[in-house]
Parts: sequence; C-alpha cells; structure tokens
Amino acid sequence: MASNEEALMWVEKYRPKTLDEVVDLHDIVESLKAFMRNPKTMPHLMLAGIPGTGKTTIALCIAHELFGENWRSFTLELNASDERGIDTVRDRVKDFSRYSRGAFGNVPFALVILDESDQMTGAAQTALRRIMETSSRTSRFILICNQSSKIIEPIQSRCAIFRFSRLDRNAMKEHLECIAKKENVNLTPEAAERVVDYSEGDLRHAINALQTAAAYKEGGLVDEKVVSQVIGEASPKQVQMMLNKALNGDFTEARRIMYDIIGTYGFTGAEIIRQMQRELFKISYITPEQKAELSDILGEYDYRLTQGANNDIQLSALLAQFAKVGKPQGEST
Amino acid sequence: MKNDLWVEKYRPTTIKDVIGNEEAKALFVEWLENKRHTKKAVLLYGPPGVGKTTLVNAAANEYKLRIIEMNASDTRSEKAVNRIAAPATSFVGLDTFSGETKGNMLFMDEVDGIAGNEDRGGVSAIIKIVENARTPVIMAANDPDIDKLRPLKKVSLLIRFQQVRVPLIILALKRICQLEGIKAEFEALEKIAMNSRGDVRSAINDLQGLAEEGKTLTLQDTLALGIRNKDVSMYDTLKGYFGAKNIGEVSSLLSYSSVDYDDLLMAIGDNMPRRYTDPCELAEAYDYLSQADVYRGRVGTENWHLLKYFFNNLSQAAAVNPESYKPFAFISPPIKVITLFWTKGKRTTLGNICAKIGALCHVSKTEAKLIFVPYLKIMLQQKKKANPIAEWLKLTPEEVDFLVSMKMF
Repeated sequence: MASNEEALMWVEKYRPKTLDEVVDLHDIVESLKAFMRNPKTMPHLMLAGIPGTGKTTIALCIAHELFGENWRSFTLELNASDERGIDTVRDRVKDFSRYSRGAFGNVPFALVILDESDQMTGAAQTALRRIMETSSRTSRFILICNQSSKIIEPIQSRCAIFRFSRLDRNAMKEHLECIAKKENVNLTPEAAERVVDYSEGDLRHAINALQTAAAYKEGGLVDEKVVSQVIGEASPKQVQMMLNKALNGDFTEARRIMYDIIGTYGFTGAEIIRQMQRELFKISYITPEQKAELSDILGEYDYRLTQGANNDIQLSALLAQFAKVGKPQGEST
Repeated sequence: MKNDLWVEKYRPTTIKDVIGNEEAKALFVEWLENKRHTKKAVLLYGPPGVGKTTLVNAAANEYKLRIIEMNASDTRSEKAVNRIAAPATSFVGLDTFSGETKGNMLFMDEVDGIAGNEDRGGVSAIIKIVENARTPVIMAANDPDIDKLRPLKKVSLLIRFQQVRVPLIILALKRICQLEGIKAEFEALEKIAMNSRGDVRSAINDLQGLAEEGKTLTLQDTLALGIRNKDVSMYDTLKGYFGAKNIGEVSSLLSYSSVDYDDLLMAIGDNMPRRYTDPCELAEAYDYLSQADVYRGRVGTENWHLLKYFFNNLSQAAAVNPESYKPFAFISPPIKVITLFWTKGKRTTLGNICAKIGALCHVSKTEAKLIFVPYLKIMLQQKKKANPIAEWLKLTPEEVDFLVSMKMF
C-alpha cells in the first residue's frame, strides 16, 4: 500500500496492486498469473462483466505486475466512453502501439488498456481490429467492457475472454470491513449489509458509500442509521421527483424536470430509464401490481429508445404513460 | 478569399484526407490497386455529400489517373456513352508514356439519374463498356435500389458509403475555420455538423454561409440558420396538424409540408401537452408519437420507404380526439434547444470535474457522474474548506462550490 498513500478516495487507496491482493476472483487470477510468469505468451485480453466487479483493477494489476512502478510509461489507458470515435483509435492508440516503447525486462510489448470499449463506435472498432493485427509485435491490448456482444466478432476472436460475474456478497462485506478496520472506522455488520445491498454488487459504489458514511459523522462509528442517511442524501432526488410528478398526473412538470436532468447532467435516455427503474421499486404509495405494470412500460420504452431516433420523444411518451397509470394521490415524503 | 466556395477550396486531394467511411475507402483502394478483383467496375453508393466524388478525385490524383467523367448533366444515351466512355476505357492514351498520367479512368457520377427516355440504352451501353474495359470504371449513386440499375449492380463491386460521423465533420469544420482564420464556438460547429445529418458538403456550405471574418461564430448564430427558412412553414404545419378534423386531413398536410422531419417531431412533442389536456388522450397521442420516432430511427438515411409508417403514426397522434381541439399558442423554439443552451455552463463544469475524477479513479465521465459525484457532494458539504479529497482531485474552489450547491440528479 505504501506507494499510493497519497490517494484519498478509498476506491483508489485500496485498489489492489498485485493479482494476489484481488478479492474473490480466484479462477481469473490463476489463469492470468500463468501469463505473468511468461509474459511473451500473453494474448490480447478481453475482460467482460457488470460494473464494479474488478475488471479495471485486474487490468491495472497486470500493468503493475508487468512493468512495476513505471507502469505508466508503458501503458496507454483510455476510456472509450469518453473518447469513443475513430479519431481516438487512429491518433492515440495507433501512434502508441506502433512505436515500440522498447522492451521492459522480459516484457517485449507495451500495454493498451481500453476501458468501456463496448462504447466504441463501429468504425472505431473496425479501425482497432486492424491496429491490433499490425501492432501485435509491439503491443498487447486489454479491452474492458460490460457486454462482450457489443464488440465486433473479429476483435473478440483476437482476444482471450474473461467473464466477471457479480461479486459474492460475503466477499464484498469482508472487503468493506477490512477497509473500515484500516481506516479506524467502526462499521457495524448491519451497516455493512445495508451498503452491500444498496450498491447492487458494484464494489466501487459500495466503497464510495462507506467512505462518505465515515466522513459523515465525527467519531468513526458507522451504523445503519448513518448509512441510511447517506444513502438518502445521495439518492437521485430529481429522478424521484420526476416519477412522483408523473404518477400524480402532473406531466408538464415531470417533463420539465426531465429536461433539467438532461441539461445539467447530460445523461442519455437509457441512463435516465435505468435510474427510474431503480427508484420505481422504492415508491411506497403504489401497489406491487402497479409497479409491475409500470415496469413493463419502462421496458417497452427502454426498447423503443434503442430503435428510435430521438431520446426526448421516447422519455416524454414514457412519462405520459406514467401520468395515465398513476392515481392522483398525495405525494409521499 | 470569401468568393471561393469552401467545398471546392478544401476538397481533399489525397485519399487519406477524405474524412469518414474508412471501410469503403479501404475497399475502394484495394479494388483500384488490385486487378485480381473479378469485377471491373465499382458502384459507390450512399447518401449525398459523404465523399464519393471526392474520393474518386483524390484517388485519381494520387494514382495519376485521368478522369473521364460523365454525370447527370451529360446525356447518357447509348450513343453518347459509346462516344465518350468507350474510347476512354479501351485505348491507352499516348500521354501514358510521358509519365504525367498513368491512364484513364471512367467515372460515371449519379448513375441513378440516368433517365428512362432521354438516356435510352444508356445502362446496357455501360455494361458493354464494363465488360470490355481495360481501365477502371467507377460509378456513383445515391439510391442503388432503382430497378433499372439492377444490371449494373451485377457487374460491379458494390461499395457502401454511410453518413459521416458528427465528430469527424466537426474536425473538418474546425480545420477550415483555422485555415480561414475564423473563430467559432465548439457548440456552433457541433450544431452545424448535427444539422447536416452526415452530409459534409452541406455542413461546409452552412459554415461558409454563417461565418463572418473577425467575428466569433456562436451557437445562437446557428439557431437562426435552422429557423430562418423553416419558421413560417413550421408554424403553418403545426397549425394544420393540431387543428385537423380527421386523419386524412393530417396525412395530406404532412405530405405537402417541407418541414424537416426531426424538427417537426420535436415541435409536436413539445406542443402535445397543450393540445391534449386529458391524461389518457395525451398518453395515447404520445404513444403514437413514440412509434413514429421508432420508424424515424429505422428510416435512418436509407430506408426511405419506411417513411410512410412514420407519417401514419404522426397522423394518428393528431387524430386521437379531434373534438377536444381548442386553439393554443405554440411553444417555440424547441424546449430541448433552449434547455441545452442555458445549461451549457453547468454541463461543462460538471464534465471537467468528472474528467478529473476519471483520470485519478480510472472511470469514465458517466460513471463518475453516477457513483462518485453524489458521494463527493456529501463529503464536500461536510467539510467544504480545505478538504483533502478536493485537493487530491485538484478541484478548484469554484468547482467545489458548484458540487456542493448543485441539485442531485
């Protein structure tokens, strides 16, 4: 840990540096270690799975194990969802991968880590495919993605694919407790449960919640009450308000909030629907049957979003359906 | 300087400089260089302004081929084709040996424009030429699905061009701005690029139309452009659309209206709540609108035959309950455009903050927004001054203030 003591977000501070420190991914770690013993045999890798399950961590661990402290000089790290066009692939990836960085020890290549690579455009993926081929002597790629199906076949076939499943609840809990201990925070078991529940298997999310709860109250006690307070404050209030307005028949106001969210945060339609789905089930004043019906509607419009041309139309139409289903009742608090 | 048409002035002269459509370009170069291909002709097809003609010209320049061109402005009857095109493809010109050119290539632009009567026999003459050709024969078309082109498709290698992606167009516009010494807001260029729907030519034309020397081009300038030609007809269209007495009236109105489909969709979406005040009617109308949008998505830039379903659904949305119509004032310009305009500063600030988080915590901006910003906001609220985390993330005091006071999504 000593080398990264300056990191103050716990997600970074306690991010494993070596494959041995990684929690709960034994099978993947064992196969990767075989490559580490003889780096020449390492193929391009694809790490696929839901968010917060250790894909980025594993990729960074590999960089550490291959190049040690100087890993940054031999690694190009790009987040494809921020720079997803063909230009990035051409300019940065191509230049980096083409010019050999000089071998490091017995590692004959440089490393390119492409996070969220399933967000890359088709054209960019096609360009990448070519680069992976022509530069295989001088570089290895680690592609990280949520859905491997969104990566074009030719790239998939060039990679060894590792799939990451949801982290084990107990392993997550242990990890949180371990961090709490090192930070001198008194984390009660119930509070840990609550954080794990809320994070839905995303360890990064869980650690952020834990750190916030620890900062929330002086004295270092994190119990269920503190966690509930933090979760309440961190919850998407505007999304909740939008849902409430729609379900109370106030379509115009719901739509105004929708534009507020889109304007400030720049979310896509799919991201907003994901938030709505999460919040819908927490609403207390509608029946389970209504929730099922509304969830169906969400699903339908989620699909239409992928087909349609205009996110706003689909979201507006969705809110209008909610306004129709919702009974005009008092708002819950 | 101002008199030159920028589209021509900045037409790329090398293949590498033609933007977008990498796959199509690669395929074309491969075909041009490699005589192994069984097809002697290529048919480049795709929407206008995406670089088909430009690519051919650039290739000719690079491979030192002389273009013999016939386009829709030339008569292309059997006779005409034989007179001009046939010699170009069967003889090797004397100047081949002088080194200035390495031969001819026949370029038939806009072959889908070969007219039935005037250009009688044109298609079959082309086919004959392709069969005997010793030089490359290149054809270009917007719509390859026309029946009379079917025989041409059989003898050609088909290469498909797609709309050029917006970021690429923005880059091209930026480059032109630089060379012309014009300052422009990124958002303005973005708007022009989006407006063009992948048509580089129209984007460059729009830029030239809007840009003034010594003045910064702003987003507001581009809004004016979008509305300038369309405002009157948009108003009339909306008036007719919402006031129609039955579905037939709506569809005939829509078929005459020259309003841009996407603008229309957005305007109807904005005004729908004013038209239908009953939640059930509103929900039904929006459902039709949503399906219209789905068809708009499927139409894309090529499946234009699906457009009728788009219009059908739009018409249905207007005709949910003609009795309940009362005149109302239209919302304009689109709420989305206004919102995005006023919130631009917020988005930029948040984007910068999230980029800083992303760089240190290895996440994308979106992930940073979703699972870092909410918690960071709370932690900064607890300790606003000299918070070590803010220092570690290198957040400026303004950014800390922004996070602390911003609304949760």
